[in-house]
Amino acid sequence: MNAEKLRNDFAVLWHRIKGKPIIYLDSACQSLRPRLVVDKMSQYYNEYPACGARSQHKLGKRVDEEVAKAREIARKFFGARNADEIVFTKNTTEGINLVANSLGLQKGDVVITTDKEHNSNLIPWQMLSQKTGIAHEIVEFGNVEALRDAVKRAGKKTKLVAMGQTSNLDGESIPAEEIIKIAHDNNALVLLDGAQSAPHKQIDLKKLDADFFVCSGHKMLGPSGTGILYGKQELLEKLQPFIVGGDTVVESTYKTAEFEKAPAKFEAGLQNYAGIVGLGEALSYLARIGMSEIEAHDYLLNKKITDAIGEMDGLHLLGPKDARQRGSIFSFNISGVEPNNVAIMLDESANVMVRSGAHCCHSWFNAHKMQGSVRASTYLYNTEEDVRVFIDELKKIAKFLR
Amino acid sequence: MVICFIALPILLILAIFSAEYRQLAKEAFDCVFRRATFRKCRTNFDQKVKSRLVGKVMTRSPALAGFVFKNFERLSWLFILLTIASVVIVGYGGYNYAKYGNCYGPESHDYCAFSGAEMSTVTNDYTGKLVQPTEGGDPAIGPTNASVLIIEFGCYMCSYTKEAEPIVKQLLEKYKGQIRYVYRDFPVTATHAESDWHSEAARCAGEQGKFWEYHDELFKMQETCLTVEQHVDFLKYIASQLELNTTKFNECVDSRKYMANVIQDREDGLKAGVDGTPYFFINNRTIVGPKKLAAFESVIDGELAKAENVGKAVATGAIVQK
Repeated sequence: MNAEKLRNDFAVLWHRIKGKPIIYLDSACQSLRPRLVVDKMSQYYNEYPACGARSQHKLGKRVDEEVAKAREIARKFFGARNADEIVFTKNTTEGINLVANSLGLQKGDVVITTDKEHNSNLIPWQMLSQKTGIAHEIVEFGNVEALRDAVKRAGKKTKLVAMGQTSNLDGESIPAEEIIKIAHDNNALVLLDGAQSAPHKQIDLKKLDADFFVCSGHKMLGPSGTGILYGKQELLEKLQPFIVGGDTVVESTYKTAEFEKAPAKFEAGLQNYAGIVGLGEALSYLARIGMSEIEAHDYLLNKKITDAIGEMDGLHLLGPKDARQRGSIFSFNISGVEPNNVAIMLDESANVMVRSGAHCCHSWFNAHKMQGSVRASTYLYNTEEDVRVFIDELKKIAKFLR
Repeated sequence: MVICFIALPILLILAIFSAEYRQLAKEAFDCVFRRATFRKCRTNFDQKVKSRLVGKVMTRSPALAGFVFKNFERLSWLFILLTIASVVIVGYGGYNYAKYGNCYGPESHDYCAFSGAEMSTVTNDYTGKLVQPTEGGDPAIGPTNASVLIIEFGCYMCSYTKEAEPIVKQLLEKYKGQIRYVYRDFPVTATHAESDWHSEAARCAGEQGKFWEYHDELFKMQETCLTVEQHVDFLKYIASQLELNTTKFNECVDSRKYMANVIQDREDGLKAGVDGTPYFFINNRTIVGPKKLAAFESVIDGELAKAENVGKAVATGAIVQK
């Protein structure tokens, strides 16, 4: 994989701001998009901007074909058994909320999450806990024994284990297969939040055997406002629809409705067709490069950063010291300089674009009495030169501003 | 936090011209408003400004960026104090300029940015003790016992001296009987080579009782005087226009009869500290340049009031005049 060459596919990287190149290290928030994806979306708007799953005319039929193609691409990409297990959503958050509100959880049912979850995999369970009376248990991220104990304690009441496969806070990953086995051994379902894992590593859902898997298209070169919820077909059929209306029903009367099968019953209203076909193009693009190549590239860059400044005086790295265990994420603080200030200064001095703050993981930072951190996240279009500039600027901040 | 108060007016002005600054202006306003109502600023505006500034400086000098970062609060206060001081000084200058035509008050002859140069300047190499000028026997208007004596050192070829003439006329009208006005010569020969001839010619006209008419005519014809090649001939022409005895006048001018008097006037001016024209001595106070009427009125009224107070004190026996 040649990152220098790949960069040419991303129009935004051709631009310079105040004479300097853009060094985008915020892919954990949203990735950049190759022109192919943008062109695919434009093609929808220019050539067949019609409704899918409704209209009998040629343009409508073409929409159906393209959406079906995108769904099949997604099936192959994630190793699902069949395309009906792929539900298009607008993001990971919607996917999690869909599962949370469709699973039919009752008072006393136990849902287990970790202490390092994005708000999207925390707040829905808090809400359910308040509304329905489910028991929301929190265990330490990655601590298999703690999960085992929690499952044992809850016994038959354990209904769902919902965890981020890779933390957006520090890049650490859970031993997903082991955790899924523990859950399944106790007849509990597993929902994996793959927002940070899906863009960076090969996901084989058949092999992983997760019951539900959610991810965001816009973190993996896809358009904004796209995402995927994977669910085992037999489970999706049992889920009660969450958002209902047009397209979710086969037939309706004033009093009754006959719902579609999955995935249609979860894709209410007119869909983001441009986004869906764009997402299909993004997944094809990634498949051509190869996820293992991307994973290796992320590790190479993260290792360079870690080796250069992981032990720097005044810099506090969050997460495992070993770059192999942090994927594409380098999350840190510099003592004496607030994270937001670091991010603004990096942007102002060298167009280095990172994220700062609590990264929607306020709960973890509050528990650790921290304001937040600075998070740099790489992707396939970042080069060693990007990393060099980032390291140099960070060294200046640590040296002169403390 | 402090930086919000200064940043707000700057950003408001910038926001008029560029949308880039409008969001920042809103945040600054929110911050200032909340602080003014004793609440905490919620936008972290000051941190953002600090970081952006330091980030920009970092590209030039990391060490300087570090200094700015660590001392930002102090630098902000310094900047605010300097801004307030500047506003006060500019405001004071503006007020003085509007009232007196000079940034520093009626008697100052320091450079004022609002008005630029206001007199023809002369290099004054006199280093001795300054000597208050006297009338020197020069032409005067007003009672000899006036409590306010105005001595003007002027140059007939100086545009600033000409500019002051209408003001002098107004003063003579307004303070008739209260002031005595004396015109003394200070030809700026370095700039206007023939200006001493003009002074001498006016005195020659004075021999025939028409000093003030000739004086006025010289200023009236100043632009022509500045361009004619044959100055002396033109001076004689003016005399003819004023129906002077031209034979007598011409002889006076040609013989340079009053050259020594003019030189003496200039010497007295230099000893008094004159470094340009017009230069006014109002009792022992000075006004330099063609200031506004209000500037002169301010000083004259002050001197008249002083004289009145002294008079009252003498009348009551509080002061015994020798």
